[in-house]
This record gives sequence, C-alpha cells and structure tokens, in this order.
Amino acid sequence: MLNLKDVVVLIPAKNEVNTIGQIVSEIKELFPITVVVIDDGSSDDTTIVALDAGAIVLPMSFSLGAWGAIQTGLRYAEQYGFKIAITMDADGQHKVDSIPKLLEKLEDKQSDVVIGSYVERGSPSRHLAWSFFRKLSGMNLEDLTSGLRAYNHKAIELLSSKSASLLDYQDLGVLLLLHRAKLRVVETPIFISPRINGHSRIFSSWWAVSSYMLYTSILCLAHFKLFK
Amino acid sequence: MSYQLTSTFLGFFIAGIILWLIRRDLLHSRHAAWWLVVALSIMLLGIFPTTIDWLATHLGVNYPPTLIFVLGMGFILIKVIAIDIHQSDLERKVRRLAQRLAIFEAENKRSK
Repeated sequence: MLNLKDVVVLIPAKNEVNTIGQIVSEIKELFPITVVVIDDGSSDDTTIVALDAGAIVLPMSFSLGAWGAIQTGLRYAEQYGFKIAITMDADGQHKVDSIPKLLEKLEDKQSDVVIGSYVERGSPSRHLAWSFFRKLSGMNLEDLTSGLRAYNHKAIELLSSKSASLLDYQDLGVLLLLHRAKLRVVETPIFISPRINGHSRIFSSWWAVSSYMLYTSILCLAHFKLFK
Repeated sequence: MSYQLTSTFLGFFIAGIILWLIRRDLLHSRHAAWWLVVALSIMLLGIFPTTIDWLATHLGVNYPPTLIFVLGMGFILIKVIAIDIHQSDLERKVRRLAQRLAIFEAENKRSK
C-alpha cells in the first residue's frame, strides 16, 4: 500500500504569483503530501505566496529553465528519500484530482513513469509536430510534452543524475533517456483546464517553435540508433 | 626585404604575444600547453618557411600554401570543438551547482 508520506509534488514556477498559491493549498487540502515549489528565478512574489500556502520552496539563484527547475526538485526528492515524484505545471492547467489517477497507475508496478496525457489539446500544427517526433524517436506515446508526470524511485534516480543535466525541457529528451535505461513509460488520460495565466514556454512564438523543433530533432537523431 | 624576413618577423610577433599572455597568467596551464606548441610552430615556420614546401611535396600536395590553410583551419576546428565540449561541461557543472545551492538554501531556511 502506498504511503503518501513517500510522495512529493514538484511544481516549477516562474512568475506564477496568480496561480501558485491556489494550486499548493488545493493539493494540501486534499492530500497530506509534501509540495515543493521550485522558484525558477521569479521577479514577483511567487516564493512568498508558495511558502504561505505551505509549500517547501527551492529558490534558484538564476533561471535554469523548466527542466533545470524540475531536476532540482528531483534531486531534492532523491536526497530526502521520496519514492515517488509528481510534476505539475504552475499555471493552473493541471487538475489536482489527476494526482490519484497517476499514483494508481504507478502502483500497478507495470510502469516506472506515468504521463498524464491530454491529446485533444493543441492545433493541427502541434499534432503534426508530435507525429513527426513520434516517427523520429520511435516512441508510441500520445502526449510528448505533458508536464503532468509521476516518476517512481528508479526514474527519480536516473533523472536526477548528471546525464540529464544538459536537457532543457521535460519532454522528448527525458523520455529518450528513460527509454534508453529501459524504464517503462505509460500514459493515462487526464482533463486539463485552460491556462489561467501565462502561456506555453515552448509554443510562444514562431522563433521559439522553430528552435524547439530543431533542438528536439537533434536530440532524436543523437539517440537514433537505439530504436532500430 | 625578403619574404623570409617578413615571415620570421610575423612568427616571432605572434609567438611573442602568446608567450606574453602565458606569462601574464591569463591562460590556464592546460590551454597554455596547446598555445605554447602553436607559438613554437609559428616561430619555426616563420624562420623556415620552406619547411611547408618540403612537407607538401612529400604529402603529394601540388600547391604548398593550401597545405598551410588546410592544416590551420583543421586545427582551428579542433580547438573550437574542444572549447564547445568544455563549455558544455561547465554548463552542466554550473547547473548542478545552482540546483544544490537552491536545496541548501531551502534547508537553511527551514532549520532557522
């Protein structure tokens, strides 16, 4: 039986003062679990609001980007002996009641990582990009960029290691690393709310999309042989 | 003025700058070794520019100056890649350091 004391929720946040407090208190109300907010160099009061809501805050000295922040949380989880880490976005997209769904799926012992996937979202061009990356990486997952994920201890160990420190996003690069280490990744469908504030860091402008596509393609090519 | 005088002067000038930089302690000893070799080769090639002709003939290169350019650019490429590898290594270290610092700061705050 799963002990909720062994579970930590990791929320990377950069200037999310409008949403972070509500998310943290919602989680705290529903489950007795540790919530860690990684403040990725915010210039607003994200840290104060998160602390007030009862989270542990890891303050980054400078912004490391989404994945750098999440990895900080994973290293924290590893150091403090948490057995399961759940990552969530700080913009209010992910519903708190998805957490038990992920834990349930992870409990099956059939998987090391569970991704909360919401496939209906996104424009046709985004779906095109995803199917392109599915082909390129040889992976059969529907939602490659979902930030709602549950990692077991094996996955935490791997992803908090040096080999994951040069990644920039919590998406394909992470999945490729897990795949190479032969960890099992499964998906479970979830619902998401529209973003309360902010917008996707990846899909913010044409320039950002292009450099993201290039970056991810290179990652896939670097791992290409492994999927033959 | 003969071209040999020009190349000798150039060789000494460039080697002199490199040696001066090394002596000023502006280069980490690991890089200094590489640059010392570069300085010496530039000096030798400056004094004996015909070395390259001799080498080119033995390597089957018809036009010796191309050999200089090919070798020069080759070494520059190797050096630049080495810099990028080093840079990536530093990036990894800085990121991990920042992560550890954040964890320590949180611990520190909680134990207060």
